[in-house]
Amino acid sequence: MRRPEDRALARHPLLDQVLARRRVVCCVGPGGVGKTTTAAALALRAAMAGKRSLVLTIDPARRLANSLGLKALGNRETRIDDALFRAAGLHPRGEMYAMMLDLKLTWDELVQRQAPSPERARQILENRLYQKLSTAMAGSLEYMAMEKVSELRSSGRFDVVVLDTPPTTNALDFLRAPDRILDVLDNDAMRILLGPMLKASRIGLKLFALPTGLVLRTLAKFTGQDFLRDLAHFMVAFEGMYEGFKQRASQVKQLLAGPEAAFVLVTTPSPLSIEDALFFHRALQADGISTAALVVNRVQRDPHRLGGPDSAPALREALQLAQIADGGDPPLSQRLARTLAEQGTLADLDRRQVQELSRTLPEVPLYVVPRLRKDVHDLAGLWQIDEYLSAAEE
Amino acid sequence: MPPAAPDARAGLLDRRLVVFTGKGGTGKSALSAALALAASRRGKRVLVCEVTARERVSELLGRPASGTQIHELAPNLYSVHVRPPEAMREYALMILRYETLYNLVFENKVVRYFLTAAPSLAEIVMLGKVWWHATREMERGRPRWDLVVLDAPATGHGLTLLTVPDVFLSIVSEGPLARDMRDMQLLLKDPARCRTCIVTLPEEMPANEAIELHRALDQHGLPQGALFLNGVFEPRFAPQERTQVARGGPLLAAAADAMESHEARADLSVRYEQLLRNEVRLPLLAVPYLFDRSFGPQAIEKVARSIEAAL
Repeated sequence: MRRPEDRALARHPLLDQVLARRRVVCCVGPGGVGKTTTAAALALRAAMAGKRSLVLTIDPARRLANSLGLKALGNRETRIDDALFRAAGLHPRGEMYAMMLDLKLTWDELVQRQAPSPERARQILENRLYQKLSTAMAGSLEYMAMEKVSELRSSGRFDVVVLDTPPTTNALDFLRAPDRILDVLDNDAMRILLGPMLKASRIGLKLFALPTGLVLRTLAKFTGQDFLRDLAHFMVAFEGMYEGFKQRASQVKQLLAGPEAAFVLVTTPSPLSIEDALFFHRALQADGISTAALVVNRVQRDPHRLGGPDSAPALREALQLAQIADGGDPPLSQRLARTLAEQGTLADLDRRQVQELSRTLPEVPLYVVPRLRKDVHDLAGLWQIDEYLSAAEE
Repeated sequence: MPPAAPDARAGLLDRRLVVFTGKGGTGKSALSAALALAASRRGKRVLVCEVTARERVSELLGRPASGTQIHELAPNLYSVHVRPPEAMREYALMILRYETLYNLVFENKVVRYFLTAAPSLAEIVMLGKVWWHATREMERGRPRWDLVVLDAPATGHGLTLLTVPDVFLSIVSEGPLARDMRDMQLLLKDPARCRTCIVTLPEEMPANEAIELHRALDQHGLPQGALFLNGVFEPRFAPQERTQVARGGPLLAAAADAMESHEARADLSVRYEQLLRNEVRLPLLAVPYLFDRSFGPQAIEKVARSIEAAL
């Protein structure tokens, strides 16, 4: 439950207001900070407020996935069952859906949509290089997550799509992935380089498609001729499709930088996570995208807020008054004093980190979610998080 | 018959290359630093290679960042930040041998474009550099490094990095790069020379990710060293004490709250340690949670002491 002292700290607008008109919410931040949980909580919040929301997740915790009724990957949206809501004592006015992103399937679907003919789509899908690229290429997951969001957005089936982004340590990778991958697909430089091989590929002279020229021969030394030949085939198969891909990528970029999208930066008070989060923030800024809100998860609450003695002798007296034996080794009073000191230290460290973060980014509304005693793995737990998200903290 | 219990000793110091991976934020860099410190104290010449966007190990040991040049952080302990452009240049020069040819080909605008766009090339050259330090770099007729510690990226990207030779060799089978990749693959898959360690926390997502990573590494034939469970809380209060203090009234309210916070985390530690012991057939090393105000050299010393058993 939200406590009065949290409410008193509310100075920023409520997160609901910050996100009210956004159609796409991207939860970004370093790995292991609770992005998936935050994304699911935001989608739940939207559904409770009467919207049709979808949370698109990459790799959710198994218990969270199970509790939302998500059984497998496969790009299928699953409507969260009414029974689950009822069991959590929740009565949403809208609907909530969840989906797990399947990387390979998203690539395949994209190729099928963009290919001029089913025959061409088949050629690409069967290309050895494509099969590797679509699953193993760095940045591929990031690109496809964005692609899926854009597709879901234009389908108009949802009022709001919340994306749980892949745990990328390099924010730049994540934002630049579409460009990087388009560079691979449609690269004039590569076309010039592979020119002779491309020509041979096009007319089907596989045997004669050998790399020529010093530059190409030297490159072949590194990559092998087979690779360059596969690449030439791949590029030929993709010819004529670049425009479609480019259009989509620029649509995605426009969507992300536009007023419909919001980036929520998720972090924990750990100094490393905060550093990473600030790095993300700057990377977003460099791409002309502002951070709509900051969510700091797992903030330790100070036990001292509840009052009472904290030294071992004073605790010993308090135990006596309560008629509790000061037994054990070390005695209970000493263990309590040590634990109070440790938990106080944790809370103090967290508080300083949160304050520092809020001083560094004064313009970004900041929301604090305390460290909960149990893992969040059901709708009731998500709603508890929403209770905290509805209070803003300075 | 149940599988044989894993050897309590992982023998990490007897390898040429030890890799740390695991979910983001679990403490891979801290454990890399701690292992390197422990090894250097035993007289090994150790090089830590960091391949993620930000260098951390030097900072954890209270030293300025090493950058892309090897710097000494402590006696016998060195680190280097491996970045794709520099690794690329070094590697290309090694194969081409002639600076002029390198400049002609690799400084060519068209080729540069190709290289920045080519998939997995960054991983290939970074791994190539680590491999070179671990197996090829010589000094006065003997390997320059007794042990190379690779602080690898988090799970997914870490696995991508470690399986880059597999992926590459399935596409390319000829040329010097393929030859080196094969050698790299041999190193990563040789249990006598290389072990990959998993770092995790007593929380649901990191623990499950560790279990999946363990299986994935197994499937790829990558030998593993140890599982490090970081940030462990020990249970401190008996159930009866918990009930009594919780009902102890306002004077004990703060103490009860602190106690419950502690025990909640201890419960998680116990639960996930059990789960991991059941699911991961590796020596498990519990690293206690540290209440240090700043996570620097002193904290790394403590971590180094708590992992002695793995060495």
